[in-house]
Amino acid sequence: MNAIAHPAHVHTGALQIRGLNKAYQIEGRDLPVLQNIQLDVRPGEFVSIVGASGCGKSTLLRLIVGLEAEYNGDILLDGQRIAATSLERGIVFQDHRLFPWMTVSQNIALALKNHKLPQAEKDRLVAEHIALVNLAGFENAYPHQLSGGMAQRAAIARALINKPKVLLLDEPLGALDALTRVHLQRELQRIWVQQRCTVIMVTHDIEEALYLGDRVIVMDAHPGRIKHEIRVELPHPRDRASPKLQGYKEQLLEELVGH
Amino acid sequence: MLPLLKKSRGLLLPLLLVLAWEYASRQDAAGAYAFVPLSAIGTALLEMLGNGELLVNLLASLARTSSGLVLGILFGVTLGVMMALSSVANRLIGPLFHSIRQVPMLGWIPLIAMWFGNGEFSKVLIVSLAAFYPMVLNTYQGFSHVERRYREVGQVLVLTPVQQFTQVLLPAALPSIATGVLHALAFAWVTAIGSELFLSSGAGLGNLMMNAEAGSRMEVIVLSVLCIGLLGYLMTLLFTRLSRHLLRWRNLR
Ligand SMILES: Nc1ncnc2c1ncn2[C@@H]1O[C@H](COP(=O)(O)OP(=O)(O)O)[C@@H](O)[C@H]1O
Ligand SMILES: [Mg+2]
Repeated sequence: MNAIAHPAHVHTGALQIRGLNKAYQIEGRDLPVLQNIQLDVRPGEFVSIVGASGCGKSTLLRLIVGLEAEYNGDILLDGQRIAATSLERGIVFQDHRLFPWMTVSQNIALALKNHKLPQAEKDRLVAEHIALVNLAGFENAYPHQLSGGMAQRAAIARALINKPKVLLLDEPLGALDALTRVHLQRELQRIWVQQRCTVIMVTHDIEEALYLGDRVIVMDAHPGRIKHEIRVELPHPRDRASPKLQGYKEQLLEELVGH
Repeated sequence: MLPLLKKSRGLLLPLLLVLAWEYASRQDAAGAYAFVPLSAIGTALLEMLGNGELLVNLLASLARTSSGLVLGILFGVTLGVMMALSSVANRLIGPLFHSIRQVPMLGWIPLIAMWFGNGEFSKVLIVSLAAFYPMVLNTYQGFSHVERRYREVGQVLVLTPVQQFTQVLLPAALPSIATGVLHALAFAWVTAIGSELFLSSGAGLGNLMMNAEAGSRMEVIVLSVLCIGLLGYLMTLLFTRLSRHLLRWRNLR
Protein backbone atom coordinates (compact mmCIF):
# COMPACT_ATOMS: atom_id res chain seq x y z
CA MET A 1 0.00 0.00 0.00
CA ASN A 2 1.09 3.54 -0.49
CA ALA A 3 2.96 5.14 2.34
CA ILE A 4 1.71 8.34 3.85
CA ALA A 5 3.79 11.20 2.52
CA HIS A 6 3.70 14.62 4.09
CA PRO A 7 3.40 17.14 1.29
CA ALA A 8 5.74 19.94 2.22
CA HIS A 9 5.69 21.19 -1.34
CA VAL A 10 2.94 19.97 -3.56
CA HIS A 11 4.05 18.36 -6.76
CA THR A 12 1.44 15.67 -7.13
CA GLY A 13 -2.30 15.81 -7.40
CA ALA A 14 -2.64 17.21 -10.92
CA LEU A 15 -6.00 16.31 -12.38
CA GLN A 16 -6.70 16.38 -16.09
CA ILE A 17 -10.15 15.70 -17.47
CA ARG A 18 -10.27 15.34 -21.24
CA GLY A 19 -13.42 15.01 -23.31
CA LEU A 20 -15.31 13.31 -20.51
CA ASN A 21 -18.71 11.94 -21.40
CA LYS A 22 -20.90 9.96 -19.04
CA ALA A 23 -24.33 8.50 -19.63
CA TYR A 24 -26.57 6.43 -17.39
CA GLN A 25 -28.66 3.62 -18.82
CA ILE A 26 -32.31 4.12 -18.05
CA GLU A 27 -34.66 1.45 -19.40
CA GLY A 28 -32.18 0.53 -22.07
CA ARG A 29 -31.77 4.10 -23.28
CA ASP A 30 -28.71 6.26 -22.73
CA LEU A 31 -29.33 9.30 -20.59
CA PRO A 32 -26.42 11.72 -21.09
CA VAL A 33 -25.36 13.20 -17.77
CA LEU A 34 -22.00 14.78 -18.56
CA GLN A 35 -20.96 16.04 -21.97
CA ASN A 36 -17.47 16.89 -23.12
CA ILE A 37 -16.06 18.00 -19.78
CA GLN A 38 -12.59 19.57 -20.03
CA LEU A 39 -10.94 20.51 -16.77
CA ASP A 40 -7.39 20.98 -15.57
CA VAL A 41 -6.69 21.24 -11.88
CA ARG A 42 -3.21 22.17 -10.69
CA PRO A 43 -1.65 20.34 -7.76
CA GLY A 44 -2.81 21.92 -4.54
CA GLU A 45 -5.51 23.98 -6.18
CA PHE A 46 -8.95 24.49 -4.61
CA VAL A 47 -11.70 24.34 -7.22
CA SER A 48 -15.34 25.04 -6.41
CA ILE A 49 -18.14 23.78 -8.62
CA VAL A 50 -21.59 25.34 -8.62
CA GLY A 51 -24.63 24.67 -10.79
CA ALA A 52 -28.29 23.73 -10.75
CA SER A 53 -29.15 20.44 -9.10
CA GLY A 54 -29.18 17.57 -11.53
CA CYS A 55 -26.43 18.99 -13.73
CA GLY A 56 -24.09 16.13 -12.88
CA LYS A 57 -21.87 17.60 -10.18
CA SER A 58 -22.09 14.53 -7.94
CA THR A 59 -21.60 12.27 -10.93
CA LEU A 60 -18.41 14.13 -11.81
CA LEU A 61 -17.04 13.62 -8.29
CA ARG A 62 -18.07 9.96 -8.28
CA LEU A 63 -16.18 9.51 -11.53
CA ILE A 64 -13.06 11.15 -10.13
CA VAL A 65 -13.14 9.13 -6.93
CA GLY A 66 -13.58 5.95 -8.94
CA LEU A 67 -17.07 4.84 -7.91
CA GLU A 68 -18.23 4.89 -11.54
CA ALA A 69 -15.87 2.94 -13.73
CA GLU A 70 -17.63 3.38 -17.06
CA TYR A 71 -17.06 6.61 -18.92
CA ASN A 72 -15.77 7.95 -22.20
CA GLY A 73 -12.80 10.25 -22.38
CA ASP A 74 -10.02 10.47 -19.85
CA ILE A 75 -9.70 11.34 -16.21
CA LEU A 76 -6.02 11.45 -15.37
CA LEU A 77 -4.45 11.90 -11.96
CA ASP A 78 -0.77 12.69 -12.41
CA GLY A 79 -1.04 11.11 -15.84
CA GLN A 80 -2.69 7.87 -14.65
CA ARG A 81 -6.17 7.02 -15.92
CA ILE A 82 -8.68 6.58 -13.10
CA ALA A 83 -10.56 3.28 -13.23
CA ALA A 84 -11.25 2.38 -9.60
CA THR A 85 -11.17 3.82 -6.10
CA SER A 86 -7.81 4.44 -4.48
CA LEU A 87 -6.52 5.81 -1.21
CA GLU A 88 -4.96 8.62 -3.26
CA ARG A 89 -8.44 10.09 -3.58
CA GLY A 90 -10.72 10.88 -0.67
CA ILE A 91 -14.33 12.01 -0.67
CA VAL A 92 -16.74 13.59 1.80
CA PHE A 93 -20.41 13.16 0.94
CA GLN A 94 -23.24 15.46 1.90
CA ASP A 95 -24.56 12.80 4.27
CA HIS A 96 -21.56 12.07 6.45
CA ARG A 97 -21.77 8.31 5.84
CA LEU A 98 -20.00 7.45 9.05
CA PHE A 99 -20.76 3.85 9.95
CA PRO A 100 -23.30 4.01 12.77
CA TRP A 101 -21.83 0.86 14.34
CA MET A 102 -18.40 2.40 14.83
CA THR A 103 -17.25 5.14 17.15
CA VAL A 104 -15.68 8.31 15.77
CA SER A 105 -12.15 7.00 16.18
CA GLN A 106 -13.05 3.56 14.77
CA ASN A 107 -14.61 5.22 11.73
CA ILE A 108 -11.51 7.29 11.12
CA ALA A 109 -9.13 4.41 11.83
CA LEU A 110 -10.94 2.24 9.27
CA ALA A 111 -9.46 4.42 6.53
CA LEU A 112 -6.00 3.25 7.65
CA LYS A 113 -6.99 -0.42 7.59
CA ASN A 114 -4.80 -1.30 4.64
CA HIS A 115 -1.76 0.74 5.56
CA LYS A 116 1.16 -1.28 6.80
CA LEU A 117 1.87 0.98 9.73
CA PRO A 118 2.55 -0.03 13.32
CA GLN A 119 -0.59 0.18 15.45
CA ALA A 120 0.96 2.90 17.61
CA GLU A 121 1.56 5.04 14.55
CA LYS A 122 -2.03 4.50 13.40
CA ASP A 123 -3.32 5.51 16.82
CA ARG A 124 -1.19 8.62 16.69
CA LEU A 125 -2.51 9.53 13.23
CA VAL A 126 -6.10 9.03 14.33
CA ALA A 127 -5.60 11.20 17.40
CA GLU A 128 -3.86 13.83 15.30
CA HIS A 129 -6.72 14.00 12.81
CA ILE A 130 -9.37 14.04 15.49
CA ALA A 131 -7.58 17.05 16.92
CA LEU A 132 -7.27 18.57 13.44
CA VAL A 133 -11.04 18.67 13.06
CA ASN A 134 -11.55 19.75 16.68
CA LEU A 135 -13.25 16.56 17.85
CA ALA A 136 -10.99 15.79 20.80
CA GLY A 137 -13.10 14.31 23.58
CA PHE A 138 -15.52 12.62 21.18
CA GLU A 139 -13.31 9.70 20.16
CA ASN A 140 -15.66 7.12 21.63
CA ALA A 141 -18.95 8.73 20.65
CA TYR A 142 -21.20 6.94 18.17
CA PRO A 143 -22.35 8.94 15.14
CA HIS A 144 -25.91 9.24 16.42
CA GLN A 145 -24.55 11.05 19.46
CA LEU A 146 -22.97 13.77 17.31
CA SER A 147 -24.46 16.94 15.85
CA GLY A 148 -24.52 17.26 12.07
CA GLY A 149 -21.50 19.52 12.09
CA MET A 150 -19.48 17.20 14.30
CA ALA A 151 -20.33 14.17 12.16
CA GLN A 152 -19.21 16.04 9.07
CA ARG A 153 -15.93 16.96 10.77
CA ALA A 154 -15.35 13.28 11.51
CA ALA A 155 -16.08 12.45 7.87
CA ILE A 156 -13.53 15.08 6.81
CA ALA A 157 -10.94 13.55 9.14
CA ARG A 158 -11.66 10.10 7.68
CA ALA A 159 -11.07 11.45 4.17
CA LEU A 160 -7.91 13.32 5.13
CA ILE A 161 -6.13 10.67 7.17
CA ASN A 162 -4.75 8.91 4.08
CA LYS A 163 -3.19 12.19 2.97
CA PRO A 164 -5.01 11.95 -0.37
CA LYS A 165 -3.62 13.75 -3.39
CA VAL A 166 -7.14 14.83 -4.25
CA LEU A 167 -9.90 15.56 -1.79
CA LEU A 168 -13.44 15.65 -3.20
CA LEU A 169 -16.18 17.38 -1.27
CA ASP A 170 -19.79 16.89 -2.41
CA GLU A 171 -21.83 19.62 -0.73
CA PRO A 172 -20.15 18.71 2.55
CA LEU A 173 -21.75 21.55 4.47
CA GLY A 174 -25.05 21.55 2.58
CA ALA A 175 -27.10 20.00 5.37
CA LEU A 176 -25.76 22.20 8.16
CA ASP A 177 -27.24 25.32 9.68
CA ALA A 178 -25.83 28.68 8.58
CA LEU A 179 -23.73 29.30 11.68
CA THR A 180 -22.11 25.87 11.72
CA ARG A 181 -21.50 26.21 8.01
CA VAL A 182 -19.60 29.48 8.33
CA HIS A 183 -17.59 27.96 11.15
CA LEU A 184 -16.70 24.84 9.17
CA GLN A 185 -15.83 26.87 6.09
CA ARG A 186 -13.15 28.57 8.14
CA GLU A 187 -11.96 25.18 9.39
CA LEU A 188 -11.80 23.82 5.84
CA GLN A 189 -9.79 26.87 4.83
CA ARG A 190 -7.36 26.32 7.69
CA ILE A 191 -7.02 22.58 7.03
CA TRP A 192 -6.47 23.10 3.32
CA VAL A 193 -3.83 25.80 3.86
CA GLN A 194 -2.11 23.34 6.17
CA GLN A 195 -2.34 20.23 3.96
CA ARG A 196 -2.37 21.73 0.48
CA CYS A 197 -3.90 18.79 -1.28
CA THR A 198 -5.90 19.33 -4.44
CA VAL A 199 -9.54 19.96 -3.52
CA ILE A 200 -12.64 19.91 -5.66
CA MET A 201 -15.72 21.03 -3.79
CA VAL A 202 -19.28 21.00 -5.05
CA THR A 203 -21.54 23.48 -3.31
CA HIS A 204 -24.78 25.35 -3.87
CA ASP A 205 -23.59 28.25 -1.76
CA ILE A 206 -22.01 30.92 -3.98
CA GLU A 207 -20.31 32.72 -1.10
CA GLU A 208 -18.80 29.45 0.08
CA ALA A 209 -17.56 28.69 -3.44
CA LEU A 210 -15.87 32.09 -3.68
CA TYR A 211 -14.57 32.19 -0.13
CA LEU A 212 -12.72 28.89 -0.50
CA GLY A 213 -12.03 28.41 -4.21
CA ASP A 214 -9.07 29.49 -6.29
CA ARG A 215 -11.46 28.99 -9.14
CA VAL A 216 -15.21 28.61 -9.39
CA ILE A 217 -16.58 26.40 -12.16
CA VAL A 218 -20.16 27.01 -13.24
CA MET A 219 -21.98 24.00 -14.67
CA ASP A 220 -25.12 23.86 -16.76
CA ALA A 221 -27.64 21.03 -17.03
CA HIS A 222 -29.16 18.81 -19.74
CA PRO A 223 -26.64 17.59 -20.45
CA GLY A 224 -24.18 18.56 -17.73
CA ARG A 225 -21.36 20.69 -19.05
CA ILE A 226 -19.01 23.43 -17.95
CA LYS A 227 -20.46 26.77 -18.82
CA HIS A 228 -18.14 29.28 -17.28
CA GLU A 229 -15.31 29.71 -14.83
CA ILE A 230 -14.15 32.51 -12.57
CA ARG A 231 -10.64 32.81 -11.20
CA VAL A 232 -10.65 34.27 -7.69
CA GLU A 233 -7.50 36.36 -7.47
CA LEU A 234 -7.29 36.68 -3.70
CA PRO A 235 -4.73 35.18 -1.33
CA HIS A 236 -5.75 32.75 1.41
CA PRO A 237 -6.92 32.99 4.10
CA ARG A 238 -9.55 35.38 2.91
CA ASP A 239 -11.69 37.99 4.52
CA ARG A 240 -15.35 37.13 4.06
CA ALA A 241 -16.31 40.79 3.90
CA SER A 242 -13.75 41.81 1.29
CA PRO A 243 -15.27 44.07 -1.39
CA LYS A 244 -13.43 42.13 -4.06
CA LEU A 245 -15.33 38.97 -3.07
CA GLN A 246 -18.54 40.98 -3.36
CA GLY A 247 -17.60 41.93 -6.89
CA TYR A 248 -17.00 38.28 -7.77
CA LYS A 249 -20.28 37.37 -6.21
CA GLU A 250 -22.24 39.72 -8.42
CA GLN A 251 -20.39 38.46 -11.45
CA LEU A 252 -21.21 34.88 -10.51
CA LEU A 253 -24.87 35.60 -9.79
CA GLU A 254 -25.16 37.24 -13.16
CA GLU A 255 -23.72 34.11 -14.73
CA LEU A 256 -26.01 31.75 -12.82
CA VAL A 257 -29.31 33.62 -12.90
CA GLY A 258 -28.88 35.32 -16.25
CA HIS A 259 -29.95 38.77 -17.34
CA MET B 1 -43.57 3.66 46.20
CA LEU B 2 -44.88 4.82 42.85
CA PRO B 3 -41.86 3.66 40.79
CA LEU B 4 -42.12 0.26 42.47
CA LEU B 5 -45.78 0.09 41.50
CA LYS B 6 -44.91 1.02 37.93
CA LYS B 7 -42.22 -1.63 37.75
CA SER B 8 -44.50 -4.38 38.95
CA ARG B 9 -47.37 -3.54 36.58
CA GLY B 10 -46.52 -6.66 34.56
CA LEU B 11 -47.27 -8.82 37.60
CA LEU B 12 -50.85 -7.61 37.97
CA LEU B 13 -52.44 -9.80 35.34
CA PRO B 14 -50.67 -13.02 36.40
CA LEU B 15 -51.71 -12.32 39.99
CA LEU B 16 -55.38 -11.94 38.99
CA LEU B 17 -55.14 -15.20 37.04
CA VAL B 18 -53.74 -17.00 40.05
CA LEU B 19 -56.59 -15.69 42.19
CA ALA B 20 -59.20 -16.77 39.62
CA TRP B 21 -57.51 -20.17 39.43
CA GLU B 22 -57.62 -20.64 43.16
CA TYR B 23 -61.27 -19.52 43.22
CA ALA B 24 -62.20 -22.04 40.49
CA SER B 25 -60.40 -24.85 42.33
CA ARG B 26 -62.53 -24.24 45.43
CA GLN B 27 -65.91 -24.54 43.68
CA ASP B 28 -66.53 -28.30 43.58
CA ALA B 29 -64.76 -31.61 43.02
CA ALA B 30 -64.68 -31.26 39.22
CA GLY B 31 -63.21 -27.78 39.62
CA ALA B 32 -60.63 -29.07 42.02
CA TYR B 33 -59.57 -31.70 39.48
CA ALA B 34 -59.34 -29.38 36.45
CA PHE B 35 -57.85 -26.49 38.44
CA VAL B 36 -55.58 -28.10 41.01
CA PRO B 37 -55.39 -26.05 44.18
CA LEU B 38 -52.30 -23.88 44.52
CA SER B 39 -51.32 -25.80 47.63
CA ALA B 40 -51.12 -29.04 45.63
CA ILE B 41 -48.92 -27.37 43.02
CA GLY B 42 -46.71 -26.00 45.78
CA THR B 43 -46.34 -29.44 47.34
CA ALA B 44 -45.46 -30.94 43.94
CA LEU B 45 -42.89 -28.20 43.37
CA LEU B 46 -41.18 -28.88 46.68
CA GLU B 47 -41.23 -32.62 46.09
CA MET B 48 -39.76 -32.37 42.60
CA LEU B 49 -37.18 -29.83 43.63
CA GLY B 50 -36.21 -32.15 46.45
CA ASN B 51 -35.69 -35.27 44.39
CA GLY B 52 -34.09 -33.32 41.52
CA GLU B 53 -36.70 -34.48 39.01
CA LEU B 54 -37.60 -30.93 37.96
CA LEU B 55 -34.01 -29.83 37.50
CA VAL B 56 -33.02 -32.87 35.46
CA ASN B 57 -35.91 -32.50 33.04
CA LEU B 58 -35.53 -28.77 32.85
CA LEU B 59 -31.83 -28.97 32.06
CA ALA B 60 -32.48 -31.66 29.46
CA SER B 61 -34.94 -29.42 27.64
CA LEU B 62 -32.60 -26.43 27.90
CA ALA B 63 -29.63 -28.39 26.56
CA ARG B 64 -31.70 -29.64 23.64
CA THR B 65 -32.89 -26.14 22.87
CA SER B 66 -29.39 -24.65 23.05
CA SER B 67 -27.71 -27.19 20.82
CA GLY B 68 -30.52 -27.02 18.28
CA LEU B 69 -30.43 -23.24 18.43
CA VAL B 70 -26.68 -23.04 17.88
CA LEU B 71 -26.86 -25.41 14.92
CA GLY B 72 -29.85 -23.62 13.45
CA ILE B 73 -28.16 -20.23 13.79
CA LEU B 74 -24.88 -21.44 12.27
CA PHE B 75 -26.46 -23.09 9.25
CA GLY B 76 -29.17 -20.44 8.92
CA VAL B 77 -26.75 -17.52 8.88
CA THR B 78 -24.49 -19.32 6.43
CA LEU B 79 -27.30 -20.03 4.00
CA GLY B 80 -28.81 -16.55 4.44
CA VAL B 81 -25.47 -14.91 3.66
CA MET B 82 -24.96 -17.11 0.63
CA MET B 83 -28.41 -16.36 -0.74
CA ALA B 84 -28.01 -12.62 -0.18
CA LEU B 85 -24.53 -12.24 -1.60
CA SER B 86 -24.69 -14.66 -4.52
CA SER B 87 -27.55 -14.41 -6.97
CA VAL B 88 -26.57 -17.84 -8.32
CA ALA B 89 -27.00 -19.37 -4.87
CA ASN B 90 -30.26 -17.49 -4.43
CA ARG B 91 -31.72 -18.76 -7.68
CA LEU B 92 -30.45 -22.26 -7.00
CA ILE B 93 -31.56 -22.65 -3.38
CA GLY B 94 -34.33 -20.05 -3.02
CA PRO B 95 -37.27 -21.95 -4.56
CA LEU B 96 -36.45 -25.19 -2.69
CA PHE B 97 -36.02 -23.34 0.60
CA HIS B 98 -39.27 -21.44 0.26
CA SER B 99 -41.27 -24.57 -0.57
CA ILE B 100 -39.79 -26.65 2.26
CA ARG B 101 -40.49 -23.74 4.59
CA GLN B 102 -44.22 -24.18 3.97
CA VAL B 103 -44.23 -27.55 5.77
CA PRO B 104 -45.19 -26.87 9.40
CA MET B 105 -42.69 -27.97 12.04
CA LEU B 106 -45.07 -30.61 13.42
CA GLY B 107 -45.34 -32.06 9.92
CA TRP B 108 -41.67 -32.99 10.00
CA ILE B 109 -41.84 -34.97 13.20
CA PRO B 110 -43.29 -38.23 11.80
CA LEU B 111 -40.85 -38.21 8.90
CA ILE B 112 -37.84 -37.49 11.07
CA ALA B 113 -38.97 -40.14 13.56
CA MET B 114 -39.18 -42.69 10.74
CA TRP B 115 -35.72 -41.77 9.45
CA PHE B 116 -33.78 -41.23 12.62
CA GLY B 117 -35.84 -42.80 15.42
CA ASN B 118 -37.08 -40.99 18.50
CA GLY B 119 -33.72 -40.37 20.17
CA GLU B 120 -31.77 -37.24 20.91
CA PHE B 121 -30.58 -36.74 17.33
CA SER B 122 -34.10 -36.44 15.99
CA LYS B 123 -35.12 -33.94 18.63
CA VAL B 124 -32.10 -31.71 18.13
CA LEU B 125 -32.65 -31.93 14.39
CA ILE B 126 -36.23 -30.73 14.77
CA VAL B 127 -35.19 -27.89 17.06
CA SER B 128 -32.42 -26.76 14.74
CA LEU B 129 -34.79 -26.86 11.79
CA ALA B 130 -37.18 -24.61 13.69
CA ALA B 131 -34.37 -22.14 14.41
CA PHE B 132 -33.00 -22.45 10.89
CA TYR B 133 -35.94 -20.85 9.01
CA PRO B 134 -36.09 -17.51 10.79
CA MET B 135 -32.30 -17.29 10.72
CA VAL B 136 -32.14 -17.77 6.95
CA LEU B 137 -34.93 -15.28 6.32
CA ASN B 138 -33.65 -12.54 8.60
CA THR B 139 -30.01 -12.96 7.63
CA TYR B 140 -31.01 -12.75 3.99
CA GLN B 141 -33.06 -9.62 4.70
CA GLY B 142 -30.21 -7.98 6.59
CA PHE B 143 -27.51 -8.68 4.06
CA SER B 144 -29.55 -7.78 1.01
CA HIS B 145 -30.63 -4.43 2.44
CA VAL B 146 -27.25 -2.95 3.28
CA GLU B 147 -27.46 0.62 2.06
CA ARG B 148 -25.47 1.35 -1.05
CA ARG B 149 -24.06 4.52 0.48
CA TYR B 150 -22.33 2.41 3.13
CA ARG B 151 -21.02 -0.12 0.63
CA GLU B 152 -19.60 2.77 -1.35
CA VAL B 153 -17.65 3.99 1.67
CA GLY B 154 -16.02 0.57 1.88
CA GLN B 155 -15.18 0.88 -1.78
CA VAL B 156 -13.72 4.37 -1.36
CA LEU B 157 -11.55 3.11 1.52
CA VAL B 158 -10.42 0.22 -0.72
CA LEU B 159 -11.43 -2.47 1.75
CA THR B 160 -10.74 -6.07 0.75
CA PRO B 161 -13.79 -8.31 0.25
CA VAL B 162 -13.20 -9.86 3.68
CA GLN B 163 -12.92 -6.44 5.34
CA GLN B 164 -16.01 -5.24 3.48
CA PHE B 165 -17.84 -8.25 4.94
CA THR B 166 -16.66 -7.90 8.53
CA GLN B 167 -16.61 -4.11 8.77
CA VAL B 168 -19.59 -3.10 6.64
CA LEU B 169 -22.00 -5.86 5.60
CA LEU B 170 -22.10 -7.89 8.81
CA PRO B 171 -22.58 -4.98 11.23
CA ALA B 172 -25.21 -3.48 8.93
CA ALA B 173 -27.06 -6.81 8.90
CA LEU B 174 -26.69 -7.40 12.64
CA PRO B 175 -30.00 -5.82 13.76
CA SER B 176 -31.86 -8.07 11.34
CA ILE B 177 -29.86 -11.11 12.45
CA ALA B 178 -30.70 -10.29 16.08
CA THR B 179 -34.39 -10.24 15.20
CA GLY B 180 -33.86 -13.64 13.61
CA VAL B 181 -32.24 -15.02 16.75
CA LEU B 182 -35.10 -13.72 18.87
CA HIS B 183 -37.60 -15.57 16.68
CA ALA B 184 -35.37 -18.63 16.49
CA LEU B 185 -35.12 -18.71 20.26
CA ALA B 186 -38.88 -18.75 20.70
CA PHE B 187 -39.40 -21.37 17.99
CA ALA B 188 -36.57 -23.55 19.28
CA TRP B 189 -37.96 -23.60 22.81
CA VAL B 190 -41.50 -24.39 21.72
CA THR B 191 -40.30 -27.04 19.29
CA ALA B 192 -38.03 -28.65 21.86
CA ILE B 193 -41.02 -29.20 24.14
CA GLY B 194 -43.14 -30.30 21.18
CA SER B 195 -40.58 -32.85 20.06
CA GLU B 196 -40.46 -34.26 23.60
CA LEU B 197 -44.21 -34.66 23.60
CA PHE B 198 -44.19 -36.53 20.30
CA LEU B 199 -40.97 -38.49 20.61
CA SER B 200 -41.28 -39.43 24.25
CA SER B 201 -37.98 -40.87 25.31
CA GLY B 202 -35.36 -39.56 27.69
CA ALA B 203 -35.69 -36.56 29.97
CA GLY B 204 -37.34 -33.21 29.30
CA LEU B 205 -40.21 -31.03 30.41
CA GLY B 206 -42.34 -32.45 27.59
CA ASN B 207 -41.72 -35.98 28.79
CA LEU B 208 -42.45 -34.95 32.33
CA MET B 209 -45.84 -33.74 31.14
CA MET B 210 -46.54 -36.93 29.19
CA ASN B 211 -45.72 -39.08 32.18
CA ALA B 212 -47.80 -36.88 34.47
CA GLU B 213 -50.74 -37.21 32.12
CA ALA B 214 -50.40 -41.00 32.17
CA GLY B 215 -50.33 -40.88 35.97
CA SER B 216 -53.19 -38.32 36.16
CA ARG B 217 -50.95 -35.93 38.06
CA MET B 218 -52.57 -32.65 37.10
CA GLU B 219 -50.38 -30.57 39.42
CA VAL B 220 -47.22 -31.78 37.67
CA ILE B 221 -48.66 -30.86 34.29
CA VAL B 222 -49.51 -27.39 35.54
CA LEU B 223 -46.07 -27.05 37.06
CA SER B 224 -44.43 -28.02 33.77
CA VAL B 225 -46.54 -25.52 31.85
CA LEU B 226 -45.51 -22.82 34.30
CA CYS B 227 -41.83 -23.73 33.94
CA ILE B 228 -42.03 -23.71 30.15
CA GLY B 229 -43.62 -20.29 30.10
CA LEU B 230 -41.29 -18.80 32.67
CA LEU B 231 -38.13 -20.15 31.07
CA GLY B 232 -39.15 -19.02 27.61
CA TYR B 233 -39.82 -15.58 28.99
CA LEU B 234 -36.47 -15.45 30.78
CA MET B 235 -34.53 -16.54 27.71
CA THR B 236 -36.21 -13.89 25.58
CA LEU B 237 -35.53 -11.28 28.23
CA LEU B 238 -31.88 -12.27 28.46
CA PHE B 239 -31.34 -12.14 24.73
CA THR B 240 -33.16 -8.84 24.36
CA ARG B 241 -30.82 -7.36 26.96
CA LEU B 242 -27.79 -8.83 25.22
CA SER B 243 -28.76 -7.60 21.78
CA ARG B 244 -29.57 -4.16 23.14
CA HIS B 245 -26.03 -4.02 24.45
CA LEU B 246 -24.47 -5.31 21.23
CA LEU B 247 -26.52 -2.93 19.12
CA ARG B 248 -26.08 0.06 21.40
CA TRP B 249 -24.80 2.06 18.43
CA ARG B 250 -28.31 2.25 17.09
CA ASN B 251 -30.21 5.46 17.50
CA LEU B 252 -33.41 4.37 19.18
CA ARG B 253 -34.77 7.86 19.65
N1 LIG C 1 -27.24 5.84 -10.75
C1 LIG C 1 -27.94 6.64 -11.61
N2 LIG C 1 -28.72 6.08 -12.55
C2 LIG C 1 -29.40 6.86 -13.41
N3 LIG C 1 -29.39 8.20 -13.40
C3 LIG C 1 -28.64 8.82 -12.48
C4 LIG C 1 -27.87 8.07 -11.53
N4 LIG C 1 -27.23 8.95 -10.74
C5 LIG C 1 -27.57 10.18 -11.19
N5 LIG C 1 -28.41 10.11 -12.23
C6 LIG C 1 -28.97 11.25 -12.98
O1 LIG C 1 -27.89 12.02 -13.44
C7 LIG C 1 -28.20 13.39 -13.33
C8 LIG C 1 -27.12 14.11 -12.56
O2 LIG C 1 -27.18 13.68 -11.22
P1 LIG C 1 -26.16 14.26 -10.12
O3 LIG C 1 -24.78 14.03 -10.59
O4 LIG C 1 -26.54 13.65 -8.82
O5 LIG C 1 -26.51 15.80 -10.15
P2 LIG C 1 -26.14 16.95 -9.10
O6 LIG C 1 -25.20 16.39 -8.10
O7 LIG C 1 -25.54 18.04 -9.93
O8 LIG C 1 -27.42 17.40 -8.49
C9 LIG C 1 -29.56 13.51 -12.72
O9 LIG C 1 -30.50 13.75 -13.73
C10 LIG C 1 -29.78 12.16 -12.10
O10 LIG C 1 -31.15 11.82 -12.14
MG1 LIG D 1 -25.36 16.21 -5.98
